[in-house]
Amino acid sequence: MKNLFHLEKGMYLEMVLATVLMIINLILTLTFPYFTVHKKYYDSGAYIAVLFISYLIYLAYLFVAKKKSTNDVAVVLYGFFLLWEVAYKLGWIHNDLLIPSPEGLFHVYVEKAPEISKDVWGSIQLLFWGFLLAVTLGTLLGLLAGWIPRVREVLLPISNVITLIPPLMFSAYMIMILSTFRQAAIAVIFFAVFWPTFQGTVIRVGQIDRQIIEAARTMGVGTVGMLWKVIFPYCLPGIIGSISKSLRGAFMCLSGAEMLGINLGIGYFTEKYKSFADYRCVLAGIVTVGVITTLIDLGVNRIQKAIIKWEK
Amino acid sequence: MKEQLEKETQSNEKKVKIQIKDVSFDYVDKKTRFGALKNVSLEIREGEFICILGASGCGKSTLLSLLSGLNKPKSGEILLDGKPIKGPGIDRAVVFQQYSLFPWLTVKGNVLFGIKQSGKKYGKKERVELAESYVESVGLASAKDRYPSQLSGGMKQRVAVARALALESDVLLLDEPFGAIDPKLRLELQELVSKLCANYNKTVIFITHDIDEAILLADRIVVMEPGNVRSIHKVRLPHPRVREELSGTEEYEKLHRQLITAFYDQVEDRIDAGVAL
Repeated sequence: MKNLFHLEKGMYLEMVLATVLMIINLILTLTFPYFTVHKKYYDSGAYIAVLFISYLIYLAYLFVAKKKSTNDVAVVLYGFFLLWEVAYKLGWIHNDLLIPSPEGLFHVYVEKAPEISKDVWGSIQLLFWGFLLAVTLGTLLGLLAGWIPRVREVLLPISNVITLIPPLMFSAYMIMILSTFRQAAIAVIFFAVFWPTFQGTVIRVGQIDRQIIEAARTMGVGTVGMLWKVIFPYCLPGIIGSISKSLRGAFMCLSGAEMLGINLGIGYFTEKYKSFADYRCVLAGIVTVGVITTLIDLGVNRIQKAIIKWEK
Repeated sequence: MKEQLEKETQSNEKKVKIQIKDVSFDYVDKKTRFGALKNVSLEIREGEFICILGASGCGKSTLLSLLSGLNKPKSGEILLDGKPIKGPGIDRAVVFQQYSLFPWLTVKGNVLFGIKQSGKKYGKKERVELAESYVESVGLASAKDRYPSQLSGGMKQRVAVARALALESDVLLLDEPFGAIDPKLRLELQELVSKLCANYNKTVIFITHDIDEAILLADRIVVMEPGNVRSIHKVRLPHPRVREELSGTEEYEKLHRQLITAFYDQVEDRIDAGVAL
């Protein structure tokens, strides 16, 4: 534990800088709540919470990872907030309808908490089902096609054509032919994830060392055993590795699909407030998508490290 | 001399384990078609340790792939216990040159895989104990939970040997297993394999291009020329053989000379034919 708080001198100095910037932000938002050229004022509670939480995360990262870049990121972040705050208060930002104050932006999460959490939960559910379906089927078919040439020669050309079509283009059509928005959204995610997963798996199966296959064959491993006990575990790190990439793609498609007419989820939230010309909420929706995608990414990396111990 | 004769008659009485009968094989490329083996015949008795010695490209690895069942002969047949070999099977365990371990399994896991494939009905606990005893027998007890990526080349081959033993087959096929390992370690591994194969009473076919390795290990050495068997040499040196004690003895020198003649004549033939260069 002694070493936990030990940092190089230069890193301490930069940490102080980041802290000072954070505190100036706090002071600005706390002591001059009404010192602004704009008429509208939003409660600064949410913004203060964001400042505090980000500061705690920053400290945790700094002392655990002890990387200089953590400091740099914090300085840039709090510098950006400071600039934004000052620009807003001094009236450099004229139109606070289009560009809200940081307090205004984060206050959306307090005002619209039930709505946002419902929409986020909705998006995640859609994502989960579409993704689960696509990854399971894509991997299964990919293993089969990778191992059995006849299956591969049928499916690979088809997939080569389909992957070239942006999945979002399906979504309008999907909404028409499927009975619910949920189904349509899941279908869009499925198309976004299934084919890349399939192709990736086929390629990975093709890259297996021949000696490993031959060793398995000499140990009396049959076709089913080969797929399940040899090829699948061999490909597993690659499959999980590709998940975070395709998750990002899937979330993008989902948000897009929601904006195109599915009346559910965080993309729909953003689209709805765009038509109300409430750009504070639009911005909040965009930020939310960024945060969720990052969280999912981090989660997948954790899972990958926990499951795959054998790769260097 | 008398003892030796007795021993020989004894080994002759042992029944034939593997019969290679008039086997031919060729690789068919899109354009060319070259013979890898031509009418090869060989008999191997139960418990015998055979080294197949030859320069690269003489078809010795092809012969092993036919024995393992990974390839099928174009003509002729190979009988194991009187029955023709139709494909890969757990009655023959194979140790490959390298890279044949399952990278997602630990040392113990790899050996366990072999035990599970052996088709013997062990309980779960028994399997684990057995796996640990195999890992110990190749001297890797302290590394049993490591993954192949964390092992040196020599250690990997030890695991491959343990996994092959775990199949509990009568026949063990080794395809230049120590070719990529540095000489000092190789000697250790050779002694280990020699000891283990005797302990478990395996019928062994060991492919190599190293004359000393063949003398150290084999009961009989089969020298191959491209496509066929050139000569067969019986090794009458007593077991256990120790490299330092062997060199200099009359028997060893004689055998070594014979083998070098057989081995290099053949290389010269190929140089004359413009094949080897």
